[in-house]
Amino acid sequence: MTQHASPQLLRRYADSDPTLAADMVWALEVHLESCANCRARLATEASAVAPLVDEIWASIVPDTTPAAVHRTRRLAVWATPAMVPWLAMTALITLIALVADRLVAPPYPSLALLLAPIAPVAGVAAAWARGLDPAHELVAATPRAGLYLVLRRTLAVLVVVIPLMAVATWTSPLRWLLPCLAFTVATLALGGFVGVSRAAVGLVTGWAALVMGPSLVSQRLPSVLEPAALGAWVAVLVAGAVVVRLRATVYTRLAT
Amino acid sequence: MPDEEELVRLVARGDRAAFEQLYRRTAPWLAVRLRRRCADDQVVAEVMQETYLAVWRAAGGFAGATVNGSAVGWLWTIAARRLVDAFRRRARDTVAPLAEEPVSPAAEDEALSDVVGDEVGVALGRLAPELRQVLQAMVVDGLTVRETATLLGVPEGTVKTRARRARLAMREALS
Repeated sequence: MTQHASPQLLRRYADSDPTLAADMVWALEVHLESCANCRARLATEASAVAPLVDEIWASIVPDTTPAAVHRTRRLAVWATPAMVPWLAMTALITLIALVADRLVAPPYPSLALLLAPIAPVAGVAAAWARGLDPAHELVAATPRAGLYLVLRRTLAVLVVVIPLMAVATWTSPLRWLLPCLAFTVATLALGGFVGVSRAAVGLVTGWAALVMGPSLVSQRLPSVLEPAALGAWVAVLVAGAVVVRLRATVYTRLAT
Repeated sequence: MPDEEELVRLVARGDRAAFEQLYRRTAPWLAVRLRRRCADDQVVAEVMQETYLAVWRAAGGFAGATVNGSAVGWLWTIAARRLVDAFRRRARDTVAPLAEEPVSPAAEDEALSDVVGDEVGVALGRLAPELRQVLQAMVVDGLTVRETATLLGVPEGTVKTRARRARLAMREALS
């Protein structure tokens, strides 16, 4: 149909006039699909359906109102509420170390520097451990679970911890950043074998017993935190990363 | 003023104002067209509600390719399928009343059909109502044989037979 529909035709169509010839109806329906102008004119003729149209709109509106949970949902991809107390604890310990460093004499090794490697470990453990996160089983059952989510949450922990440590140690990041990252990766790599929380406890205990304790007793900075030991930390970091990558699937069925 | 295709693209991005505009512009047309196929206003309301919710949720999937890029054609495709679904649901307990078919074209329509043109109109007018219904569902509404069968409440074999008879009758009338 090249010309537009007449008002009479539109009115009879809108009123479902049964005497309207089939070919007229067909031609009109095909034309209406492509002509916005005639559709608008049909709407003015079809006053009978106006209440129906309004009623249907009212029933659609509640289902199309956008949910207001977008921001929290986006945040949940990066962090879990279970991480908050652990991160708070990390911040508090860092603060205590900072105060302690101000109080003790300079020959004493910096407590903040000694704590730097293990600072993110607690947060990382909370990021992916059944015992620490009540929602762990729910999260582990989602399609996003696995290494991808673990790494995202670990990154969230580091984003909080690294600036804290930078302020607390107040020295060149060369001395503490690599050990800090190496411990993070080692926690994840070991976690693939024994569970992240056990790995975290083991590493923290080991570091406290073998490095921190002796260092505090001898009042000297341990040799592993000297710049000369950087190579060893890089080796640990790379080895840990390789193990994590090779055992990526293990994080989808982590038990503890 | 944005056209319907543009509105659907905006709806795909979650634009509620565009969705309301799309609804206001197409709902009267859709309501009239559905009411010509189903006399029960409750079913019409149900079908329209489902159709627009599907549009709201699936606007991103509107490729346009299947209906020559027409958003309105796409809308009708969804609505027609939903109408068939509604008939299928209702078929179990009651037979939903179909909109009544004209018994014979009025003299005025005969005159009008000359304007639209031609032998096709006359041939259609002479076609038996049940054959015309089948042609309408399959040609104008773009439904499959199975969907047509559900919509008209007859077996698939009958739809096929009627479609063949309608085709023969049309060809005969036009030759």
